[in-house]
Amino acid sequence: MRTVAVVAAGKTPFGAFADRDLRSLAVEAGVKCLKNGHVSPTQVEAFYLGNFAGPSFTGQNHLAPYISSAIGIRDVPSTRFEAACASSGSAFFHAFSAVAAGLYDCVLVAGVEKMTSQPTARVTEILAGAGDCSGEIKAGSTFPSLFAMIARRHMHQYGTTREHLAAVAVKNHANGALNPDAHMRKVITMEQALNARPVAEPLYLYDCSLISDGAAAVLLMPLDRARDFTDKPVRVLGIAQASDFLALDQKADITTFPAVRRAAQKAYEMAGVTPRDIQFAEVHDCFTVAEIVAIEDLGFVDKGCGGPYEASGATARTGEKPINSTGGLKSKGHPVGATGVAQLCDIVSQIRGEAGDMQLKRHSLGLAQNLGGSGASCVVSIMGNV
Amino acid sequence: MTATVYTETVVYLAPEAFASDVPYQVVIVTLENGSRLTGRILGDRVAIDDRVEQVETREGVPFFRKTL
Repeated sequence: MRTVAVVAAGKTPFGAFADRDLRSLAVEAGVKCLKNGHVSPTQVEAFYLGNFAGPSFTGQNHLAPYISSAIGIRDVPSTRFEAACASSGSAFFHAFSAVAAGLYDCVLVAGVEKMTSQPTARVTEILAGAGDCSGEIKAGSTFPSLFAMIARRHMHQYGTTREHLAAVAVKNHANGALNPDAHMRKVITMEQALNARPVAEPLYLYDCSLISDGAAAVLLMPLDRARDFTDKPVRVLGIAQASDFLALDQKADITTFPAVRRAAQKAYEMAGVTPRDIQFAEVHDCFTVAEIVAIEDLGFVDKGCGGPYEASGATARTGEKPINSTGGLKSKGHPVGATGVAQLCDIVSQIRGEAGDMQLKRHSLGLAQNLGGSGASCVVSIMGNV
Repeated sequence: MTATVYTETVVYLAPEAFASDVPYQVVIVTLENGSRLTGRILGDRVAIDDRVEQVETREGVPFFRKTL
C-alpha cells in the first residue's frame, strides 16, 4: 500500500447563501483546491463526491459528473458517495483506498450540501431519512430526538448534566467566533444555552448544529508525487470506515457508537499512535451530546467521563486536548455532505500552521471523526506532518 | 404487552406529518424478551425505567401508556 498525502485543500465559507446553488458551491471549492495545488482539472484521474441529499434538497440527481464536468474534469470516473452525514468522509476513505492501492495518482474529493432553500420542517424530514424509516422515524423520531434519547440515557447512566452539554456549545461558539468561514460567529453564554427553547428534550436550540450551505475539497496523491506539488504535504497516517445498525432500538447500548470505536481502533493501529498522542481533533458535534460520546468512543476519556471533561476546559483551544477548535458543526455550520471533507481541510490547515487566529500551539498530529446518522456510519482519519 | 422505558424524549420541532402532535413523547422500550421497540406515549409523560403497556397500534407504530 502506498503512502497517501493531501496536496491541497479548498472550501467555501459555510452559511445560508440564498443566491448560491449546489453546483456553484461545489465548483468553487473544487476549483480553489486545484488552484491551491497547482493542478489543472485535466490532470485529475478520478472525482469522488460526498453528498447526502442533494436530490431531495434541490431535485438534481447524478451529481458527481454534474459537478466535475463544470470544474473541467473530463472523461474520468466521477461518483457520488452517500453515507448520511459521513458522506464526504466516506468519499475521502474510498479515494484514499484507490490512491493507496495504486489505481490513481491524482484524485479530487469534494463534499457539498445546499440545505437552506427548504423550510426547517422539510429539512428535518429530509434529515430523518438517515434514520430507519420503517420504525423509529415512522414513530415520529427526528434527528434531534434520536440524539436527545442518547443524551437522556447518557445522563441516566453516567450523571451527565444539561450544563455539561451546554459547556460544549459555549466552547464551540467561542471557537467559531475566531473562524472567518464559520456560519455563526457568535459567542454565547452558559445562561443563553440553558435558557434556549427546547427542540427535543433534553436538547435545546444551542445543543443543535446548524442548517447550512457549503462545500469543501481536498486533493490526494501518493506521497512521492505530492512532493512535486507542495512543500507541505499532509500525510494520511491512518484511516478507517465502519458501520452499524441504523435504528437506535437495534443497539445494545445507545450511549456508545460501535462504528466509531471500530473505525478509531483501526485508524490508530494503522497510524501506530494512541488516543493520548493525538494533539487536536475535529469531531462530529451534530449535537452537543455527540461530541461527548465521540471523545469517549475515540478513547480521549473513559466512558461516561466526557461531560465533566468538557466542563473542565480540557477541550478548549487552550486545553490539553483541543476539540473542534474551528467551532465544529455547532458554530462553523453543518452542510451535511460537506462536513467530512471540511473537517479534513481544517486539520490540514492546522498541521500546516496556516490556521490564522485559530492556530493551535501543538498541531502536528490531528484526528477527524465524521459520523453518519445516529452512528450507522463512521470515518476516522488521522493526519500528520511528513 | 408491557415493557420498560429504556429512554425517552419530548419532541417540539417536527416534520409536517407530526406537526399537529407537538409536543409529543417518543420512547424506546425494552420488551420482556429483551428486544427493543420505538414508539409513542399517550397520556402522562414517562421517564426511564417506568413501566408501560401497549394500548394501540397506529399505522404500525406502537403507542404505550404508563401503568399504575
